[in-house]
Amino acid sequence: MDNNKSQKDLEVSDRRDFFKKTAALGVSALAGTSLMASGDDDAIMHHVPWGQTWGDPVTKNLYGVPSKYEHNVTRRYTKLLASGNYRASIAVTPIHESEGIITPNGLFFSRSHGGTAHINPHEFRLMIHGLVEKEIVLTLDQLKRYPSVTRTHFIECPANGGQEWRGPQFNSLQFAKGFMASAQWTGVYIKTILADLGIKPEAQWMLAEGSDNSEMGRTVPIDKVLDDAMIVWGQNGEALRPEQGYPARLLLPGWEGNLCVKWLKRLEFASEPWYCKEETSKYTALKPSGKAIQHFYANEVNSTVVSPSPEKPWTDLEDGDVIEIEGLAWSGMGTITGVDISFDGGMNYVEASLKGLVLPKSWTRWSYMHTFKKGEKLILASRAMDDAGYIQPTIDEEVSIMGVESVYHRNAVETWEVTATGEVNHVQLRTPGGVKNV
Amino acid sequence: MFKLNTKLIVSASVVTVAALLTAGCMESGAKPASAHVATASDIAGGVIYPIVDGKTGPYRVNEKAMSMKLNNGRVPTANELKAWDKDVMPDGTGLPEGEGSVEDGEAIYEAQCLSCHGDFGSGGGGYPALSKGNAVELQKTLTNNRWRDPDADGPTRVFGSYWPQASTMWWYIKDGMPHPKSKTLTDDETYALTAYMLNINEFEIDGEEVDDEYVLTREKFLKIKMPNEKGFEPNIDGPTALTDVRAYYANPANFGGKKVNPSERCMTNCQEKTAVVTRIENGGISEFHPPMSAVRDLPVEKAKALDMKKVYADNCAMCHDTGVAPTVGDKDGWASFVAKGMDKVYANGINGTEGGMPAKGGSSLSDSDFKKLVDYVINGK
Repeated sequence: MDNNKSQKDLEVSDRRDFFKKTAALGVSALAGTSLMASGDDDAIMHHVPWGQTWGDPVTKNLYGVPSKYEHNVTRRYTKLLASGNYRASIAVTPIHESEGIITPNGLFFSRSHGGTAHINPHEFRLMIHGLVEKEIVLTLDQLKRYPSVTRTHFIECPANGGQEWRGPQFNSLQFAKGFMASAQWTGVYIKTILADLGIKPEAQWMLAEGSDNSEMGRTVPIDKVLDDAMIVWGQNGEALRPEQGYPARLLLPGWEGNLCVKWLKRLEFASEPWYCKEETSKYTALKPSGKAIQHFYANEVNSTVVSPSPEKPWTDLEDGDVIEIEGLAWSGMGTITGVDISFDGGMNYVEASLKGLVLPKSWTRWSYMHTFKKGEKLILASRAMDDAGYIQPTIDEEVSIMGVESVYHRNAVETWEVTATGEVNHVQLRTPGGVKNV
Repeated sequence: MFKLNTKLIVSASVVTVAALLTAGCMESGAKPASAHVATASDIAGGVIYPIVDGKTGPYRVNEKAMSMKLNNGRVPTANELKAWDKDVMPDGTGLPEGEGSVEDGEAIYEAQCLSCHGDFGSGGGGYPALSKGNAVELQKTLTNNRWRDPDADGPTRVFGSYWPQASTMWWYIKDGMPHPKSKTLTDDETYALTAYMLNINEFEIDGEEVDDEYVLTREKFLKIKMPNEKGFEPNIDGPTALTDVRAYYANPANFGGKKVNPSERCMTNCQEKTAVVTRIENGGISEFHPPMSAVRDLPVEKAKALDMKKVYADNCAMCHDTGVAPTVGDKDGWASFVAKGMDKVYANGINGTEGGMPAKGGSSLSDSDFKKLVDYVINGK
């Protein structure tokens, strides 16, 4: 469908609304909650324009679009994170506007190493070869003929938060934690395909390769392939978006986003690993010893306060208001078992409540009810645990092992400062120069 | 912690199932690290949720669907396998015969690579640097860490100083470069470019300096010793690789993880006494596109005219503002191009050139809008 056209339609109807409304109610009606002198609310006391005229016919927007008022809810990018021409770049998810544990497909963070490929599904082929008993080529229809499973998992770039090893940089939740998103994925377990093909005993590794401009490739250990690795074609009930690898991508639940190779064309099995560019030159974590961690698979347990956040401050609250502090917790190693919240920067904690579905390797929502005191300064922090036995470290603890040059896999407790006026700023609690004797 | 103990039992049983499938490559690491803590039994230290009684974790499954002979797809032809199986492994598997000189490599580099990677691989335009000098010397910077002193020199991670295998470079050049038109280089051109990479990183092969006269062949390529070959952990080579990886991630101290018995986690005085509130310095990074806003007012209607300055900044500046090509309004710089006639200038811009200009600068402008952009770049208005 023609998005530009429907956008134009919206703008036109928009202006029409504007003039009608202005003429009928005067300027005060433009602010949603303004009251007339009597104390009565215009929005209640007058008929609203959308209540007295026809709405759009069902023939409009046959593929729906968000309300025109939601236009600021978009992915965003910044030059700092762009490799020339935005073809080896990232656009991040507005998690401050995210609801529940599913990201709408149009807001799912987008990262590529050679631009978003647009694959003709008729020319899609998936080749599976190497140390298997039977090598095959599949068309898309044949791939989808395998029995499917549907799973809810986040995908996270391991560089989520990676710009802030040496100190906070982004006064924004979207940029501090938005290198991730979550969806309900539909596809086939690779172990189902391998049950059909047969795998040779000496196979230890699988190469996954994309058909995009960069031929993005990664080496996956056979253990993951035979556990929960999937080839997925469905995302939140529809085909994958091009940015997510249409028509098929690899999904390794909980593991680094770049391992979930998009625009998939080839799986090869071998006894030795490949040393692809994106598992050597990048996505390796340099430690103070000078050694770098390679094949750093699982995104560790992590969490963040979503509301309030720099984008969603408490500037409109009144003294005594009861407010929900809400957030996300996630772990690529298992299921979230608990979240603690701190009001003093991670010095002292109390337990928060988990809420909603608590699924393995998935975003999990948590909640804490708080009574707002006007003028009170707070430093909010959340700390999650998972059933693999892990808990988020403090920044000092993590830096004392990893140093500050490792770029990837930063999962230390993160903090928001709430000022006396209810503004929210990203700060960190850490020892200048690091803690001693590491 | 009844729930956690259940997981412990469950995750131990899956190793048996998986070990059958993988013929014994997973036998180690199944033991719990601590009786208090759920077993981290997957290779990366995470929990496995095996399919038991028709369920994996919270999800129900049709177990029959997991192991049926489906006879799907078809066997690829030998030619198809050859066409797609182009990867190059460190032992030389997949590396074709061929040769290329540093001299030829430099010429190809200047024509096709310099516009992004800069003079002698120095980087620019947001694309990575390929060299910062002598690889052996720069490898020693990898122990630099700015956690004691933020103003100290950091580590230098470029091809020569950091990458563990040379095969990665050959393979990536052949498959992924040059970025706007990948898979167009011949094997010999790829050898030549690799030779040039080795030259600017000041490599020796078998005691011989990769100087300007050097000619790289497959045989010589396989003798390259990368200075940082041993700079990575865990081990991923040889028959013990998966056991080694599993053991590595079973120890949180290796990767900055923290394990705790949930009932013994810290609830009071959990920060170091020396920890202080650290704020964003100098405004931090706030150049976001579109600008950050959470308001739900309707947008002001935008002017229809192209914002040339923005189009230029997004698409052209990385080359035209970095000295690679004439900049906006540089009349002298553009004179020799304009002398060939504007039709030629437009055509080169629209179609791209061998010299590195991507078609329409990588933008998605219409031809007529792109011509307006060309006029802007040449005239500065």
